[in-house]
Amino acid sequence: MKLFRIFSYLSTCLTYFLIFVGGMVRVSGAGMGCPDWPKCFDRWIPPTDISQLPDHIDPAKFNIVLAWIEYCNRLFGALVGLTITITLILAYKYYSHIPVIKWSLTVAFILTLIEGWIGAVLVHTILNPVTITLHLILALIIVMLLLYAAQESYYIENPHAEKNSKYPLNINWAFIVLGASLFIEIIIGTEVRGGLQMLRKENPLLDSNFLLYMLGPFKYMHTILGIVILFLSIFLWVKLVKQSDSPSEVVKQSSSLILVLIFLQIVSGEILVFIKVKPIIQLFHLWFAAIIMGLISVQYSAWKKSQIANE
Amino acid sequence: MNKSYLYIFLCVLLMGIGASWVINTANESHDIPIIKKVPNFNFINQNGEFFSDNHLKGKITVLDFFFTNCPGPCPIMTYNMKSLYDDFSNSKEVQFVSITVDPKNDNIEVLKNYAKINGITDERWQLLTSDLSNIKSLKREGFMLFADELPQGHAIKFILIDDNQNIRKYFDGTDEASLTILKKDISNLVKELKRYEKGT
Repeated sequence: MKLFRIFSYLSTCLTYFLIFVGGMVRVSGAGMGCPDWPKCFDRWIPPTDISQLPDHIDPAKFNIVLAWIEYCNRLFGALVGLTITITLILAYKYYSHIPVIKWSLTVAFILTLIEGWIGAVLVHTILNPVTITLHLILALIIVMLLLYAAQESYYIENPHAEKNSKYPLNINWAFIVLGASLFIEIIIGTEVRGGLQMLRKENPLLDSNFLLYMLGPFKYMHTILGIVILFLSIFLWVKLVKQSDSPSEVVKQSSSLILVLIFLQIVSGEILVFIKVKPIIQLFHLWFAAIIMGLISVQYSAWKKSQIANE
Repeated sequence: MNKSYLYIFLCVLLMGIGASWVINTANESHDIPIIKKVPNFNFINQNGEFFSDNHLKGKITVLDFFFTNCPGPCPIMTYNMKSLYDDFSNSKEVQFVSITVDPKNDNIEVLKNYAKINGITDERWQLLTSDLSNIKSLKREGFMLFADELPQGHAIKFILIDDNQNIRKYFDGTDEASLTILKKDISNLVKELKRYEKGT
């Protein structure tokens, strides 16, 4: 049982880290670092020198730095896949009688297989923008399923964790609207970034701020939805932390952390729009969004648990 | 609890540093390699003025070899060069140089006329001539191109030269795909140049 807990936390953390690494591949333009899949330049370990390239591959495609960035993403992806597989096996061993854990991990596992396949499609379609976004969405769903399973197993071992907490009843809608808004916000965000990249390709001499200006409505939608997310998360914080009887540590910490991260999102977003489009800030902007998504799911599960416990 | 937040913060900080390093390394790896320096030369342009390797300093240059009576690839090359000349009409950092390989026929008058026909209105596009032997040696030793049987044996390359007179890349001057890459590379070099100017 303890082993399952360890692995469910581990797979969640590693998947979050993999989302970070994937974002790094994106912002450093290393997506086509390996022109083939699953091998890299027809080798299991990418070449460290141009002389090691097989004859049938055009040397112009070779960039050692990009190849290794992409290769690390794949290698780490394989490691995460393995961790998720072990977690699934442990789930069937210890929690086969608990459907929520068993099924969320089974779905996560299947989605992980699909995610690997999409990775291959990405390389074969030379980074189709829609597929890139799909790659991210699937990763988000996988990480939330893992997180959900981990939290459920925590509640099985600590059945009284939310027993003493009394939260307001009718806030189901706020969770749903917040989660959906954030999900759409992330997709619009990737469109903003993708759109910038397209514009840049066609107007190489213009600077990024002018390109952002050319992008128009998408940018405003991103801002407007961002404001909705801000107000909803403040609303939930007030409800769950201020207007509840003895809220649990999990709820208090996740609610506060969401606010801190949203504040960082606003700051980093404004920097991207008004100061400079910096790849490292783009990377963290996306990654924090993914973490906020997970924290909302933690918040929701805890709230739900207390509702069931107090029925 | 505060301690674990500190650890998380340190982890995120480390990830940030690591990612910055990776992104920087990736950016640098996109840079176009330096092939070699353009040797000294001192030719004459369509207006009868001297144009030497010093004029390459501080500018991004696209250079090719041609001759005005050329029936084959030259018209396409000139057409392509003209489209670059028009595209970059607002960037004073970019210039174009075409060197004739038929100096016997292409004297200053002929070049001047050729400029007029092709809509060259300013100093951003230089048509150069010199002695055949000078041109040959610049082409062969300077740019490492085939230089026998001139004028017919002129190369169809566009050569990209940076602001420090370094040859950076060769392009096929007759096909559109190469031209697209060339445009992007010119833009990148201009950006580099501007960043450098701002930095100093």
